[in-house]
Parts: sequence; C-alpha cells; structure tokens
Amino acid sequence: MQDSLTSELTLNQRRRPSFEETELERRATKLNFGAPVTGSVTIGEGVAVGFGDGNVRIFREGVGYSTVKAHAGVVLCMATDGEHIFTGSDDGKFVRISSDNTVEEIASFGTKWVDCVAVIDGKYACSSGGKAHVWSKGQKKPSVLEHSSTIGGMAFDAKGKRLAVAHYGGVTIWEAKERRWKSLKLIWKGFHGDVCFSPDGKYVVTAMQENALHGWRLRDKGDLAMSGYPAKVKSFAWVGDTPYLVTSGANEAICWPFDGKDGPMGRAPVCVAPSKKQIATCVQALNSESAVFAGFRDGSVLLAEIDESKEPIVIKGSSGSAITGISLTSSLSHVLVGDEEGNILWSTLWAGEMNAKSI
Amino acid sequence: MQTSQVPVTVLTGFLGAGKTTLLNRILTERHGKKYAVVVNEFGEEGIDNDLVVDADEEVFEMNNGCICCTVRGDLIRILSGLMKRADQLDAIIVETTGLADPAPVAQTFFVDEDVADRTKLDAIVTVADAVHLDAQLGEHHEAEEQIAFADVVLLNKTDLIQSENLESVETRIRKINPYAKIIRTARCDAPLEEVVGLNAFSLDRVLEVEPDFLDSDHDHEHDDDITSVSFVSETPLDFEKFQTWFANVLQTRGQDILRSKGILDFDGLDERYVFQGVHMLMDGSPMGEWPKDKPKSSRVVFIGRDIENMGLKEGFEACKIA
Repeated sequence: MQDSLTSELTLNQRRRPSFEETELERRATKLNFGAPVTGSVTIGEGVAVGFGDGNVRIFREGVGYSTVKAHAGVVLCMATDGEHIFTGSDDGKFVRISSDNTVEEIASFGTKWVDCVAVIDGKYACSSGGKAHVWSKGQKKPSVLEHSSTIGGMAFDAKGKRLAVAHYGGVTIWEAKERRWKSLKLIWKGFHGDVCFSPDGKYVVTAMQENALHGWRLRDKGDLAMSGYPAKVKSFAWVGDTPYLVTSGANEAICWPFDGKDGPMGRAPVCVAPSKKQIATCVQALNSESAVFAGFRDGSVLLAEIDESKEPIVIKGSSGSAITGISLTSSLSHVLVGDEEGNILWSTLWAGEMNAKSI
Repeated sequence: MQTSQVPVTVLTGFLGAGKTTLLNRILTERHGKKYAVVVNEFGEEGIDNDLVVDADEEVFEMNNGCICCTVRGDLIRILSGLMKRADQLDAIIVETTGLADPAPVAQTFFVDEDVADRTKLDAIVTVADAVHLDAQLGEHHEAEEQIAFADVVLLNKTDLIQSENLESVETRIRKINPYAKIIRTARCDAPLEEVVGLNAFSLDRVLEVEPDFLDSDHDHEHDDDITSVSFVSETPLDFEKFQTWFANVLQTRGQDILRSKGILDFDGLDERYVFQGVHMLMDGSPMGEWPKDKPKSSRVVFIGRDIENMGLKEGFEACKIA
C-alpha cells in the first residue's frame, strides 16, 4: 500500500496547484445525478449518499448502486448505526432505511424541517426547530428535549450515554438517568452548528456560525477557542490515535491535537494538504494511515498524512464544484466522493485492487 | 462552475396591510416562476406547497465583535437548505412580522458568507396600508423604520382612501424615504415583476430621484425623526479617501444610519462603483459601464436619524480628487 502512495505522489507533484485528472479518477466510476450531494456515510461495505432531490443512493462493492426515494424534499441530514440509514428532510419527515432499502417513517413534523440526526447503537434522535426527539431501545414514544433556539447539531458520545445538542449560545449535554434526562449547559456566545464528542468523551467541539470552532473540556467546562479560519468550518473528522480533530474551513486541512491533559490549548495545529487558493469544504479520516482526505471548493481532493513534512497525494483533480461528501467503505477498499453539482466518483482506493468499473 | 445568486425579496409591513394577499398571489398565480416563500406562521389555510417554509424569526447576535451584528439565524439555516434543492429557484421571498425590525434580515445577507455566496438581497418591499399608515407612523417606530428601509413601498388599499389623503400619505412616505419606489395598489395587485426579482437592489433609483424638494420642505407638522440626505459630485472621488471616510462614518454612526446607498465615480476606475449598506455593514463593487448619454457623477444617499448633524456633507466633499 505504501508503494502506491509514493508512486502516485511523484506522478502528481508537478501538477499543482490546479490539479488535473488523476489515475484514481481514470479507473473510477463517474456518475452525475443532477441534484447536489448533501452528505455521505459509511454503511458496511458500502457508502450511502444523500441528495438534494430526496434520494439516497447506496453504493456497494461489486454490486453497483441502488436508489431509494427517501424524501419529497432535500435530504438535509443523515446518520447510520451501521445497519440502517436515518435521514431528515425539509419535507418534515424523519425516516429509517433498512438494509433491504425499505423506507419507514419514524416521525413527521408537518411544515417544520428535520435539521439534524444522531444515531448510536439502540438510540436515535432527530431535531426539528428547538426540539430534540430521542428514541431509546424499548421505548415507543420519544423523549422530547427542548431548547431555547433552533438546534444546529446533535451527536451521541461513543458509549451512547450522552447526547450533545448545539444551539444558539452554546451546547446542552443530556444524559439519561433512570428515565429522567439530566442536562448540563456549556455556554459560549454565538450560534453553534455541527457538534461532536472526542473519541474518549472528554471534549465536546462545535463548528460555529463564525469562522471558528469552539470546544469545552467537560471535566471543568474549560473553553477552547479555535479560531483564525478564513471560512466557516463545515466538516470535521477525528483521525489517528493522538487523536487529531481535522477540520475544513481553510486552504489546507487544520488538525488540532487532542492528546495530553489540555488537548489543543495553547498549541498550534498541524496543517496538511495545502491547496494554494482553494478552501477545504469536506474532510474525512483514513485511520489506517493516520491520514486525512481533504476536499476543496474547486472539486479537488488531497490525501495527506498528519505530518507537515510529507507531501500530499492528489486523489481527484479540480473539476470546479465544491466537495460535499467523502466516505470510505469499512474495509477501506473503496472511496466515494460527491460534490454540490451531483457528481459521484466511486473507486477502489488503491491501484491494483479490484477495479470499481466492474460494478 | 459558479452557481448564480438567487435574488431574495424581503417583505415587511404591518399586520393587515396586505402582505398575506401578496404572498398568496405569489404562491398561486401562474407566473411560470419558481418562488420559495419563507413565512412566519402562515395561518390555518395550510397552502399545500413545498415552496412555503415555516420560519421562527430567531434573531441572533454574531460573536464577531460588531455590536449591531444581529442576524436572522433561522434564515441562514433555511437559505442554505434551499440552496441544496435539485431545482433552481427564480427568487426567494422572506416575510417578516409587522413589529419586527427589518435590520437583522437585511444584515444576514452581509454577514453570512454562505448566504452571500449563493443569494443576494434584491429589494426590501414594504406593504403599507394607505388608510392606517398615518396613524401607525405616529404610534410605532417600527412602521417608520419599515418605510425607511424600503426600496419599494406597496401603498395598498388605495381604493379605500380619498385622493387628497392619498397624496398626503405619499408625501409623508417621501419625507422619510424619497428613494423608495411607491406603487399604488388596491389589493396588492401590482405586477409581480415590479416587486420580485428587481435586480441590483434598485440602485439605479439612487441616480434617478431628484430629492431637491427635501431642502425646501421644512414643514415639521409630524415628528418623523427619520430623514435622508444625498450628495452629488461631478468631480471624481478618491477611492482611498472615500473608503476611509465611509468606514469611519459607518463605524461611528452606523446605529443611526438605517440605509446608505450610492453610485460612485472613482478616479481611475472606468466602471460605476455601487454600494449599499444597512447600519454598520456595507457591500460594494464595480458594476458595469456608465450610461453613454449622461455625464459621470457620484451620488450617495443616507437614510437615518439625526442625519443632518453628522457632518456627512463635509466628509463627502473631502473625498473629491484634488
């Protein structure tokens, strides 16, 4: 695997900064579905992609893709428990797609949009306006958790015990205790969108309306202001054992170290996958290599180890349309890249493996 | 490939002025256009239309150090959602409730980069009730602000008012905001193309309107505290000087300046430079050739409170090239 890393590197090095078509693109399956890609998730040996026309398409190794009409409107949010795909839409519906592609409506909110979803083993949640609706195993009716403003993002921690809900003015951490929900408020001025826990559950980080991330160390509610981005942070991913929180929003992937007692407090981030002028719009982890995919506004995708001394590999050339989804299959054999014009690139990640064109 | 910006019309006006009538027309008429409408509590009728979006009018303060940066948080979310649709919208209409300050809606288009990338503020349209506007202006400062912010005033229910009273209502509107285009209607029956998708925020009107009557009209029978000033220069302006002066004006007096607009002739720039601002925020760019039949000139307009005592004229004069 390392060999192919090096060989592709020498091939593409001279082509920067405007990236041309790559070897990976030439062997890939390329499709256009005419509606923006709004997100993508890994589902076993496949990748599920949400579109602006309400369709969800599931790409599987060696099988091709199937199309599921999940919504009448835009697929605004999606998440998976590894078996089912959960999606929310501006058609007001929260649905679950099973492995046989059946669509089951879990809840309908009429004219109100379903903005966020979060899923973990045995629990799933969606938000509509300021209300988070949480379904736990064995419960027919959801718990409804209310917030003073519209919810910008939701995430469970790795154990599924706590739910972080981002909104205007901060984050509320909810914990279910014997049928009652206990809340902890983390306050920071401004609107908070996407939210995530660190893999060890010690930190919570949000992407703000401003060009910044905000984090809290849960032990003491210590604030972590991660600012200086030239654009909004729209995408983040946890990478490696350190671990690093890798983010979009700059002309390279910004990687914040979360090791040690204080995480990134007072430390500079590692900056990899530089693109001279383009802003990264989407990032994804490649944990096997402690590396990160960074997709840019011009449609290019770079793969870089989290090490500023290493050169990135060009995965995909500049096509002109901003990257909105990058996902890998669980075995890391295939990668899918989607953009806001509805283009899908589906390919084996490494040259020499079974050609994706055979699907 | 850069997707074009979708024009957004902001619709203001007091309850009962006729906003709903206009929205119903936009949603039901066969105009052959795809318009999305963002409303607050559309009522019980429940028009079955996937292009009607329910909003909550959430006003958020930005955490960016700008004290008047309040934006409509719900609108940022809704507009970015609408931009993910498979079909291209011809325009978006955003309704605000009667008592809402129009500033946060307008500011949303300056502050949020995603919104600014994909949409543009086309015009602020205020629906006014010709019968009741006079009383409303006296009682609610929001009514006055809605007139002051407007690019277009739909003076509605003109069939229910005598013509001399109509003249006096129009005069009062012009005193607050001489640059708004006033369209008289009976049941909001103005042609939609005069209301939606006007393009360029009707900036050309800045040059067209001759606000001379402002100087001669010192009739203070109403205590309207919102007024306007405008300055013209035949001499080209110095870009650096103007930038410095204008930024300082907005920074120090932006709270009182509701709207600013202008078409400028900068020394060394062949194109017209146009800008528009809402309170402390402004956006400007070169926009096309000057009309061939008229001499180049610069004009700026300010609408706001206590506008005569800001030393704006002297500041503007000082921007002329030596």
